[in-house]
Amino acid sequence: MWNEGCVLLMGCSAPFSLKAFLQMCNLPVRVVCRANAEYMSPSGKVPFIHVGNQVVSELGPIVQFVKAKGHSLSDGLDEVQKAEMKAYMELVNNMLLTAELYLQWCDDVTVEEITHPRYGSPYPWPLNRILAYQKQWEIRRKMKAIGWAGKSLEQVLEDVDQCCQALSQRLGTQPYFFNKQPTELDALVFGHLFTILTTQLTTDELSEKVKNYGNLTAFCRRIEQQYFEGHDKDNSGTAAPRSAKRSLLR
Amino acid sequence: MAAPMELSCWGGDWGLPSLHPESLTVMAYAKFSGAPLTVNTINNSWRTPKGDIPVLISEDIVISQPAKILNFLRKQKYNADYELSAKQGADTLAYIALLEEKLLPALLHTFWVEAENYCSVTKPWFASRIPFPLSLYLPGKMSREALNRILLTKGGPPLYSLSEVEAQIYRDAKECLNLLSKRLGTSQFFFGNTPTTLDAFVFGFLAPVYKVCFPRVQLQEHLKQLPNLCRFCDDILTCYFRLTISDPALIISLQMDDNLRKSPQHPPRKLTTLKLAAGGEESPLNRLSP
Repeated sequence: MWNEGCVLLMGCSAPFSLKAFLQMCNLPVRVVCRANAEYMSPSGKVPFIHVGNQVVSELGPIVQFVKAKGHSLSDGLDEVQKAEMKAYMELVNNMLLTAELYLQWCDDVTVEEITHPRYGSPYPWPLNRILAYQKQWEIRRKMKAIGWAGKSLEQVLEDVDQCCQALSQRLGTQPYFFNKQPTELDALVFGHLFTILTTQLTTDELSEKVKNYGNLTAFCRRIEQQYFEGHDKDNSGTAAPRSAKRSLLR
Repeated sequence: MAAPMELSCWGGDWGLPSLHPESLTVMAYAKFSGAPLTVNTINNSWRTPKGDIPVLISEDIVISQPAKILNFLRKQKYNADYELSAKQGADTLAYIALLEEKLLPALLHTFWVEAENYCSVTKPWFASRIPFPLSLYLPGKMSREALNRILLTKGGPPLYSLSEVEAQIYRDAKECLNLLSKRLGTSQFFFGNTPTTLDAFVFGFLAPVYKVCFPRVQLQEHLKQLPNLCRFCDDILTCYFRLTISDPALIISLQMDDNLRKSPQHPPRKLTTLKLAAGGEESPLNRLSP
């Protein structure tokens, strides 16, 4: 029995990537939402999975764990393709993930109107403000260390555009990045793009950047239809907040 | 005619034109694309530029990060990626991200955090090129920034101690080297026979690991087990940088042939000197100008 904990309120991409990955491996998963999921996780990061007696967190280690149990999506790739897949996964982490964090935590308007209220909502005052500021400080320190603190919003959006262009060119007209079979890269890209397309922010500029690439939106819709439709009924037993029910097909 | 361009960067040693990965990347790209750069290596004078290095100055424009410098050079029609397809351009971005995420932390660690390396090699080398009293302060600052970057990006639970972080970053770096080696295979460069942006970045990151003599060298030892990557670095050094070993300022500021400069797009310079092994060492300078 596979369980999963996630913080849907954060608009984070990892839960979607993980769910897509597990569905692609044909592993049944039940989604459970907890406000203190970050503290339940062994690494402090969500999402994590709870299998029998074991708890594994973050996408990378979970992929390894699943592989050790005999399920892998990338066995059919040759060495050069595996190298390429890992490189593209780093590109997504390097650019898309950092851009998402930047937008959530370094853009003052978004921080004030959306992130702080959302992050602090499970807690009473003043804990909600303290925790939100603490997280913000932590993220800003990291941005400074990697040289993103000096970037303006336009530059970040340009980076996102460059990344989407690269992904779009790599995907081309194929159904998945490595042609007929989905791999970890497809799950990861889906998670990020889906989050960008469905999370409400103060501006639509980020999702517009992604929408410029028709094959990427078609890719997301295809994965959503194939792996998420019909599986949602299994999750009706948990108290999933209405606001988190997202879909690209509206 | 493009305006004169001047690059300020850290100098070299151990057979390299520069020890600094980013400076080396820009210098390699300039060589590959034929951009006429005047390279000023930072020496013990008060003209040390403040801020990020390398920095490109062209008339009044000052540009500081490698990606931005390369973009600028491309806009001036010095484009080493001229013949790449869209997919290859996308692959370039992906592999550069791989280098920055997986190899750079271990590189920074080897140079700036590993105590024996830092104290016996890195600090004295950089301090000797920075005027007093900055030489007392700047190397320490660079070391702290490197450690900070490693801990903020790779540290954090479940890795709780520096030694666990170190073990992880070296594992990642070795895996990255293996992936690069598999991708390169038996080709001369990553995209065929002409060097491109990706080759410049890989060279910039690998050459310092390969050539600098440190007391603690686990990354270098791993790299030496991947002969195609070593051959890749050696080829670029021999054919594009060979003459800089004797006299950096003179050689690097050699201007391009006028015929090449007249064409609207400067195609990347093909490597014509690799068959030296058969005929003995010839001066590559004669062969490089068509």
